[in-house]
Amino acid sequence: MKQRTKKLIALLAVAAMSVSILAGCGGAAAPAATTAEPAAEAEAAPAEEAAPAEEAAPAEEAAPAEEAAPAEASGDVTDLPRNETLYFGGLQWGTVNSWNPIGANQNCWALASQTFGSRSCMFETLYMYDFLTGNLYPFLADGDYVWNDDMTELTVKIKDAAKWSDGKPVTANDVVRTFDISVEIANGTGTTYGAYIDSIEAVDDKTVVFHLATNEDGVPKNPLLALDYLVAVYVAQADWIDAVVERNGGDSVAILNDKAEDVPYSGAYGPYYDDDQKVVLVRNDNYWGQDASMFGSLAVPKYLAHAIYADNAASETAFKAGQIDVNQQFVANIQNLWLEDGLPISTFYDDEPYGVCLTMPTAWYNMNIPVLKENPALRKAIAMAVDYPSIIASAMTNQSPSFEDVPRSLMNPTEGEQALYDHDAVADLQWVGNDIEGAKALLDEAGIVDSDGDGYREWNGEKISLNACCPNGWSDWQAAMEIVAAAGEKIGVEITTLYPEWSIYQTVFTNPDQTEYQIFMYSPASAAPSSPWARANAFMNKDFVGVQNNWSGNFGQYVNEEADAILKAIPTMQDEQEIKDAYTELTKIYLTEVPSFSLMYRPAAFDAVNESVWTNFPSAADGRGITPNNCISGYAIKALYELELVE
Amino acid sequence: MKGYRKYFSKKIIWFLITLLVAVILNFILPRLMPSDPVSAITGKMVGSTTDAKAVQQIYSRFEEEFGTNKPIVVQFFIFLKNLFRGDLGTSFSQYPRKVSDIIKSSIGWTLALQIPAIIVGWIIGNVLGAVAAYVRKGWDKVVLPVSMFISNIPAFGSAVILLYIFAVKLKVAPVAGGYAFDMIPNFSWRFVKSVIEHYQLPFWSIVLISIGGQAIGMRSMSIYELNADYVKYSRFLGIKDSKIVGYVFRNAMLPQVTGLAMSIGTSVGGALVAEIVFSYPGLGSTMYAAVTAADYPLISACTLIITIMVLVMTLLLDVIYAFIDPRVKAAQFDI
Repeated sequence: MKQRTKKLIALLAVAAMSVSILAGCGGAAAPAATTAEPAAEAEAAPAEEAAPAEEAAPAEEAAPAEEAAPAEASGDVTDLPRNETLYFGGLQWGTVNSWNPIGANQNCWALASQTFGSRSCMFETLYMYDFLTGNLYPFLADGDYVWNDDMTELTVKIKDAAKWSDGKPVTANDVVRTFDISVEIANGTGTTYGAYIDSIEAVDDKTVVFHLATNEDGVPKNPLLALDYLVAVYVAQADWIDAVVERNGGDSVAILNDKAEDVPYSGAYGPYYDDDQKVVLVRNDNYWGQDASMFGSLAVPKYLAHAIYADNAASETAFKAGQIDVNQQFVANIQNLWLEDGLPISTFYDDEPYGVCLTMPTAWYNMNIPVLKENPALRKAIAMAVDYPSIIASAMTNQSPSFEDVPRSLMNPTEGEQALYDHDAVADLQWVGNDIEGAKALLDEAGIVDSDGDGYREWNGEKISLNACCPNGWSDWQAAMEIVAAAGEKIGVEITTLYPEWSIYQTVFTNPDQTEYQIFMYSPASAAPSSPWARANAFMNKDFVGVQNNWSGNFGQYVNEEADAILKAIPTMQDEQEIKDAYTELTKIYLTEVPSFSLMYRPAAFDAVNESVWTNFPSAADGRGITPNNCISGYAIKALYELELVE
Repeated sequence: MKGYRKYFSKKIIWFLITLLVAVILNFILPRLMPSDPVSAITGKMVGSTTDAKAVQQIYSRFEEEFGTNKPIVVQFFIFLKNLFRGDLGTSFSQYPRKVSDIIKSSIGWTLALQIPAIIVGWIIGNVLGAVAAYVRKGWDKVVLPVSMFISNIPAFGSAVILLYIFAVKLKVAPVAGGYAFDMIPNFSWRFVKSVIEHYQLPFWSIVLISIGGQAIGMRSMSIYELNADYVKYSRFLGIKDSKIVGYVFRNAMLPQVTGLAMSIGTSVGGALVAEIVFSYPGLGSTMYAAVTAADYPLISACTLIITIMVLVMTLLLDVIYAFIDPRVKAAQFDI
């Protein structure tokens, strides 16, 4: 017994020592990075967890790190000097899957391929997209692209200076091999563009010709998508592709899943360190872009780093604390960060809507539900009754233009798209919301009335009862759906809300036969060289009807032959007036038939900056015309060459 | 010795039966969720493609790769076969990462955070509870309500409060991560110090909420034991108080030991709240993300590890009890 008591006492003593050691460390703990702390006190992160439409929702796991020494760190540098490192937030929510530019499901923040601006710090596209103007600026390409007369061939030259990180020149063969392997292994590029680009030919070492797929009449299927290719698809090195094919025995799944840790890149930065807590890129000081034909200098920050946070709240806390310089994250009432908290934080515009809105989160009507399919009046009445100012004020905290400022159409609020339709011709069809009396009158006129006096209208003798759905936890969308349901109540249509988990939601809404979700949310394409055609196509293309696992568009299964014919004709139109007339006609159909209705405008990527360490970020007032796209996407990468340290 | 052999054989047979049932449930339950993770991967891969038919092609390929197009029974036997080879499959939500790779990189952080926190919380809680029961008077009047108050604060709430006070307001602790945001892991004192600093808030957030429950449990058990007949009898015999206290706490400790073993068994599940609030690496947030994304292979692997840990700890407890608790021994040997 005595022995046991002694053991117990010994155990207690050891524990007490451990506790005191830990407590001692706790007391001595210093702030992780005092240099980055802004003078003003940061507030606790709000619980708001709105997932940006185009970015992976932060449901992604923040898994942990291996404690091994840095695999790729070179020399004796073990820290990231704050005045040489630009920190990003909101672009990476999980451990890097791979560095494979031709692979599947790349999640690395440095290599997201996207039409509104592919991340261009490590791999490079032929052109850079500027969504402010719609311009395509040459990147690996040398000068402008050239169409032949019937738009079946597109010629692109490649810069002489362009080189890979291993010193080999970027050649036409690299462009060709990238496309060929993409089609062969059916990766995202292959499946997206394979049906529209027949082949890419290397005419000489520095010239490629895109041969577009044509229909029976020899008319190209869709020249607009070839332009998307130019700004979205990274060029990978042909020799490396051959090596990957060989080491994976030609197996397409193995090639897609190859981690590509040996991949050569043509961009200004390459991998430096990554684990489950951060991803760091280091500048390639031999980068070809120092040539006068490109940027003429190296980018200013030596390191680009992204810490992996568990969720939006944690990331927002780090942003306020100055541990993130460039933040792609919805922050509710962002203006309070500088107006009330006095933090050195700013956005592209000083005033509402603070950012450039490119997309329109939309409520889709399910045409598998007879009452919705048969009654355009019901569809329009609900859309007219919705209180959009409340959605914009509550869900977006006014980080969206109102529908008074930018009347609804198929276009996003950018000047380029707004100029593509005749505003006066559709003015009578547009609505700004809260029109309860107008909506009621429309329903009465259509014979959809409340005949049994229960306060709700009937159709074919049955009470109209609908649900309004969006994924659980997408708080801004949920707020919007609540307001849609309230609008239904005001006009005598019962609408209840339903918020399934995303994993279930995405399974249901991509099913063309589903009847579970009757009014449901999803965003169409944001901006691209093919915009606004791509967005209109997503709203009304009947080719998507009946397609299983449909992620492409027309989720509500709407069919309109007239709209479909116009959509198929637009990509080959060259006359500006003809294009404008076509978009005006499409807009008329869309606003009359209301197969879906947008609830707000929203940035494709949020862009706020903390100027504790770095400054001279793009802003609307500076007149430089650099795209506000997180300093690394599309033409926005130019900002990295003009950053300055805070004095 | 024969009695022990019979006792242990019985326990091991039950262990194996439970394990088999657990493996079957681990496989089936996640797959009953009404969602299609293959569709989610397809969606991520195709982005905004306008060619809907090509999407179907990709979907079919992933179905083939993950075997989700095969009957569930076939899938189960493939799962079992792979399990015996140590292959836990490929994650849906972090495709194409292997499940074993994900677990390998998170489990160290989880155990390093959880086990010391559980043990420290257990020790402090039990000492406080025992002292409260023995001393009574003013001490008990403080310990009991404070313990009840602390143990009833939701874990999420206490973690956020700690973060707000120490990281945001006082700035004496880091806001997120397992080490400083401007560091690269290396074997230096600075890095170790950074890891220890980042350890504090998640650690204390777990310790704080576990102290209360342990203290209350220990206090009740000790009061019960202190009033037992053998204690009164010992006092009549004039045995020293310190000796009696030794008997009392040894008996009161038995259920607490069971609780500790169970806590350690489930510790591999991760400290979800601490991991999320402090962006601390670990298996908890990984598993949470796996559940929300219907990532069957990852869910099955995580729950399987937890199940095995709990079963092993239970078996160990049974074995230990057979030696340390005369009542169990007596029951098994039919004395």
